[in-house]
Amino acid sequence: MKIKKILFPTKFRELAFNSLESLMELKETGLKEVVLTYIIPREEVGFVPFGGYMKDEEERLREQARIRFEDWQQSLSKHGIDSTIRIEVGNPIPQLYRIAEEEKVDLIIAGRKKRTALEKVYVGSHTLDLIRRSKVPVLISKYMVRFEWEGELITRVNDHIFTKPLFATDWSKPSENALKLVSSFKGLTDKVMVTHIIGVKISKNLDKSELRRIERESKERLDNYCDILKKAGLKAEPHLFSGRSSAEIIRVAREHKATMIVMGTTGKDRLREFWLGSVSHRVAEMSELPVLLVP
Amino acid sequence: MKFEKWVLTFFLLSIFCIFSVSAMASDHDVAVTHDAGHSAVTEHKTAHESATGEHGAAHAGAESHGHEEAGHGHGHINLGEVLPLWSCTPFACMLLSIALFPLLAPKFWHHHFGKVSAVWAASLAIPFLIVYKGTAVHDLLHIILADYVPFIILLWALYTVSGGIALKGTLRGTPVVNTIMILIGTVLASWMGTTGAAMLMIRPFLKANDYRKNRTFMVVFFIFLVANIGGSLTPLGDPPLFLGFLHGVDFFWTFKIMPHMLLTAAILFVIYFILDSYHYKKEGLKGAPVEEGEKEPLKLEGIYNFIFLGGVVGSVLMSGLVDWGEVNTLGIHRAVQDWVRDGLLIVMGILSLLATPKRLREYNEFTWFPIVEVGYLFIGIFITMVPCLLILKAGAKGELAFLIAVVKEPIHYFWVTGTLSAFLDNAPTYLTFFNTALGSFYPGLSEAQAVPLLMTETSIYLKAISAGAVFFGACSYIGNAPNFMVRSIAEEAGTPMPSFFGYILKFSLLYLIPTFVVVSLIFF
Repeated sequence: MKIKKILFPTKFRELAFNSLESLMELKETGLKEVVLTYIIPREEVGFVPFGGYMKDEEERLREQARIRFEDWQQSLSKHGIDSTIRIEVGNPIPQLYRIAEEEKVDLIIAGRKKRTALEKVYVGSHTLDLIRRSKVPVLISKYMVRFEWEGELITRVNDHIFTKPLFATDWSKPSENALKLVSSFKGLTDKVMVTHIIGVKISKNLDKSELRRIERESKERLDNYCDILKKAGLKAEPHLFSGRSSAEIIRVAREHKATMIVMGTTGKDRLREFWLGSVSHRVAEMSELPVLLVP
Repeated sequence: MKFEKWVLTFFLLSIFCIFSVSAMASDHDVAVTHDAGHSAVTEHKTAHESATGEHGAAHAGAESHGHEEAGHGHGHINLGEVLPLWSCTPFACMLLSIALFPLLAPKFWHHHFGKVSAVWAASLAIPFLIVYKGTAVHDLLHIILADYVPFIILLWALYTVSGGIALKGTLRGTPVVNTIMILIGTVLASWMGTTGAAMLMIRPFLKANDYRKNRTFMVVFFIFLVANIGGSLTPLGDPPLFLGFLHGVDFFWTFKIMPHMLLTAAILFVIYFILDSYHYKKEGLKGAPVEEGEKEPLKLEGIYNFIFLGGVVGSVLMSGLVDWGEVNTLGIHRAVQDWVRDGLLIVMGILSLLATPKRLREYNEFTWFPIVEVGYLFIGIFITMVPCLLILKAGAKGELAFLIAVVKEPIHYFWVTGTLSAFLDNAPTYLTFFNTALGSFYPGLSEAQAVPLLMTETSIYLKAISAGAVFFGACSYIGNAPNFMVRSIAEEAGTPMPSFFGYILKFSLLYLIPTFVVVSLIFF
C-alpha cells in the first residue's frame, strides 16, 4: 500500500496552499501525482429563486480556481510532482467521492473546518460524511490550529506531519490496513508510536486476572506490530494505556509530541455512529493534530 | 458588489422605516376608522344575515365544514373594510422583488432573498401589529397556521418523496420518446405536484436529448406541460389549487377543469411534436444509425416512494372528507383533521428519507436548497398579502371595490388571474382572485358558506380562476416555482435557455397565448 496519487480538494481557504506544500514530502515514499479539485457548490450558482442558473458566476468561479491551481501546479512541478485540475459543479461530497473513484487515488486530503473564535471541533459534517463513505484513506490535514492546553491558548502549525505518527490500533481489519500504509512511510518517519487503548467498555466489567490477560495479549500484539514496522525499516515503540479511547489517544499524542494520528476506521453510518460512537471520528474531530483514517 | 449590497440594504430599510412611520402617523386616522370599523361590523352583520336568509338552506351544510372565518365572528373589527389600499404596498413590493431582483441583481438576490422577504414581512407586520393589536395578531397567526404551514408541509412532503424516485436507463430522445416522456410528466404532475414530476423527469429528459442540437424548445415545452399545465387536476398538482382546497374547495372539484386542461395540453403536444420532428429531421438525425454505447436498461428505482406518495394523496383526501371537530391553537380554530393531515404528510416525508438510500437522492442531485428558498419567500408573501386578502374579502366595502367592479365576467377572471399569475407567483394570485370572487358574489358570507356556492352556483368563475392561475404560471420563469428549478438544471446541463424576455417573446406569446385564446373562446 503506497501513496502515489492524492486527491487534494480545496475551498481556497487561508493556508490551503501551505497545507498542500506540507504534503510534498510524500514524494519520498512514491507520490507522483496530485489531483487538484475544486467543487463549486450547486447552491452557489444554481437555483436562484425564481431566477435560474448564474452561468457567468460559474464561469467566473471556474476561471478563478483555474488561475489559482495553475499557480499551484508550477510549485508542484518544481517538486517533480505531476498534477491535474478538476473543477466541477455539484454537491461536494458525492462529487469528491466520484472523482476519487474515477481518478483511482490512494489518498484524499480533507481540510479542517472553517476557523471559528472558539475552536473545539476541527472537522465539519461534510468531512465526516466523506470519512464515513470513502474507500480510500482520508487525511484530515489541520495545517494551523489553535487549542487550549493546560489553560493556555496555543497556536500550532502542523508541518512535517509524518515525522512522529501515533498509530492507534484496535486490532481491526482497518487497523491492519493502516499498519500497511504506515509501513510505507520509510524515509519520512523518525519513529512510530504504536498505541493501543484498553477501552473503558472492555475493562469495567472484568476481574483483575482477565484484565491482566488482555494486557499481556495487547502487549504481545503491539510488539508484533512494532516488528512489522521495523522490518519495513521504521523505528517503532509500543504504548499501552487504559481509559476512554478517544480522550486517551488525544492525550498520549500531545504528551509524546506526536505529529499526526493514524487510525483505522470502519465507516459507521450516522445512525450506527449515534448509537455506538466512533472513536476514529471523535479523534478526528477533537484532536489538534492531523488525523489519517484508513478504511 | 459590496456597494450594490449596501445600497439595496439601505433601500429596503428605508422603505421599511417609511411604512412604519406612515402607519404610526396614521394612528389618529385609525382611531377614527376603529369607530368606523365597529359600525362596519354592524353593517357587515346585517349583510351577512340577509345573505344567509337568501341562501339559508344551501349554507346549512357548509356551516359545519370547519373552515374558520378570518376576522369574522370573533368580536373583531372587519379590517378589510377599514384598511387603506396602501397597506397592500408591502405585498406588491414583495412580488415585485421576486419579479425584478432575479433580473436586475441576481447575485444579490441569490444570497439575500431571505432578508428581502423578512424586510417586506416586517414592514407590514410591525405597523399592522402596533395599530390593530389583537385583531392583527389573529389575522397574521391565521394565515401562518391555516395557510402557510400546511402549504409548506405539502410542498416539502411532495418534494421529499418524489426526490427519492430515480428514473435510470439509456433513452434516445426522438420526437416520439420525448413526447411520451413529457406526457408521463404531465400525467404525474397532478399527483406528485408539478415540482415533484418536473424534478423526476427533467434529468432523464435532458440526458436522453444531450445528443440533440436544439434542446431549448424541448425544455420550454417541458416547463409548459409538466411544470404547470399538468398540475391542474388535483390540489396536489399546483400550489394555488392546494390553497383553494385549504379554503374549502373539494379535492375532486378541480377535475372540473379537465376539459380545459385536456384541450390546452392537446394543442401544446401537437405543436411540440411538430417542432421536435422538424428539428429532428433538420439535424439530420432521422434515419441516422443509433450510436452504439453502453446501454443501461430503463428502470425506476425507489418505487416504494409511490407508497408514500399514496400516503400523501390519502392524507390530503382524508382531510377533505372527515370532520373531527376543531382545535384551538394560539387562538386560531383549525380542524383536527387538518392537523392530522399535516402530521401524516411529515411522517410520509420522514419515511421516504429513511427508506431511500442516499445514493438515489444523490443520483437525482437532490438538494434542500429550492424548498428552503420557497419556505423563506412564501412566509414573506403570506404575511404581506394579509391586507390585500382582507380588503378583497370585504367586497364593495373594501378599497379594492373598483377591481371587483371591473372584473366581472369569467373571461375577465381567466385573463386577469392568468396575466398576473404569469408575472407574480400564481399561488398568491389565485388566493387574491379567489377572494375577489367571494367578495364580489357573496359579500358578508363566511368562507365556509360562500365557497360551496362558488363551487356550484358560480363554478365557471372558480374554473376561470383555477385554470388561469395554473395555466398562465407557464408564461414566464417567475410564474411558478418549478419553472426556475427546471431552467437552472437545464442550464447547468448545458442546454441554452432563453432570457426572461426571450422566453416570453419567443415561446409564451407564440404558443401559449394563442392556446389560451382558444380555451377562453370555448370555455369562458
